[in-house]
Amino acid sequence: MRCLLLVILVFYCLSQNVMAENKDDVEKMLKCRLDSVISVLEKNDLSTHEKNKKVVEIVSPMFDFPQMAKLTLGKRHWPGLSKDEKKRFTELFVNRIKTSYCDKLTLYTNEKVIYKETIQTKRRLRISTYLMSKDNNISILYKFFEKQGEWKIYDLEIQGVSVIQTYRMQFNQILQSGSIDDLLLKLEEPVNS
Amino acid sequence: MRHYEIAVFAMFILMIWAVTSVQADSGDINKLDNPDSGAFGDMAYDNAGLDDEFDEESVPQVYDPLSGYNRFMTTVNDKLYFWVLKPVARGFEFVIPEPGRLAINRCFRNILFPVRLVNNLLQLEMKGAGIECARFGVNTTIGILGFSDPAKSWLDLDACDEDFGQTLGSYGVGSGFHLVLPLFGPSNVRDTLGMVPDYFLNPINYIDSFALRAGVESLEKFNYTSLHLGEYESVKKDAVDFYPFMRDAYEQNRKMKIEE
Repeated sequence: MRCLLLVILVFYCLSQNVMAENKDDVEKMLKCRLDSVISVLEKNDLSTHEKNKKVVEIVSPMFDFPQMAKLTLGKRHWPGLSKDEKKRFTELFVNRIKTSYCDKLTLYTNEKVIYKETIQTKRRLRISTYLMSKDNNISILYKFFEKQGEWKIYDLEIQGVSVIQTYRMQFNQILQSGSIDDLLLKLEEPVNS
Repeated sequence: MRHYEIAVFAMFILMIWAVTSVQADSGDINKLDNPDSGAFGDMAYDNAGLDDEFDEESVPQVYDPLSGYNRFMTTVNDKLYFWVLKPVARGFEFVIPEPGRLAINRCFRNILFPVRLVNNLLQLEMKGAGIECARFGVNTTIGILGFSDPAKSWLDLDACDEDFGQTLGSYGVGSGFHLVLPLFGPSNVRDTLGMVPDYFLNPINYIDSFALRAGVESLEKFNYTSLHLGEYESVKKDAVDFYPFMRDAYEQNRKMKIEE
């Protein structure tokens, strides 16, 4: 029965248009998707791998991954890349960021997400949320921008730490002392924990 | 004796700060050497103007003259985590069920009430100070010495974490250079100095027997770690280059906490 409910919830959310038009719609869309993420995480009969796959499926449409990849290199490094390099970099980066976001949700999510506030400035929207974890609250700020009538996430701040900013600083440092190939090589390295 | 050592340590940090802050100005000049990033003018690249938010100019770079030492200490702390902290914390995890460890953790947090209260007051956060008093009163009595947290579960009052580093920051004291401390991990000059007043506000440090105090402090650390296993590993996985990642993440996190 619970399983059926979950399936209905997930489908309902996926069918919800990502083309949210105003602040309330964006909020509603985020809430709906995070709710289904939590119900996936709460299912004990799924393996971590299956859970992660489902979570990625649910959250991916909200993100503008190619834009995020561009932002981490910035206008300083991005325009200088060849087409193939851009493609390869985007691929590697997007993979990484998906895994990382999933990891964080799985690690911290205990039971619910609290929505604190939404701030809208012209073409940006910031929705701050808290993940209730075992012994404290983890703040996650979702930053949306408007792209041809759609609202998409371009950055996350987890506990005040901007994902784009930290990657950007690291990539910049690598590119200052090495080439794009060095960076791609580093991104290709199997992630060891 | 202990107090004397801390005073010497604080003096030492202050001295390094004074010497290096003179060099800080010349460090800023180097930043101007950046190639003119606007020269590309790639319009298709960023049509929403998102790039500005992350520009080197709008985001101050972390001042890090001791990067060699900091990198080294990050590795030392990493080894300490994997060789000592994590195995012992795993033992805790095995022996004490999670609710028990959460209760111990809550009790320690309750004991640290003076640190939070004084720093809330110093920042003129009267609401935070009030909440802290209410929490301490309720949790120490009804919550049985803080082992449970009725202030949160019944009254929905969350702890207002403040430390002296944040107090200094809220009065506009700059962070100084980045400094990785043995055992404690990433910090900076301001937050390291901030540890001194917090040390005196921490009741645990008034335990006379050194062995007992060390035991209590280790218990807190191991217990806390046992509740957060996997988090450090996950952060480490995110990093392409671990040390600068930890450094920037620390400074950004502190910045948020100070602004809060």
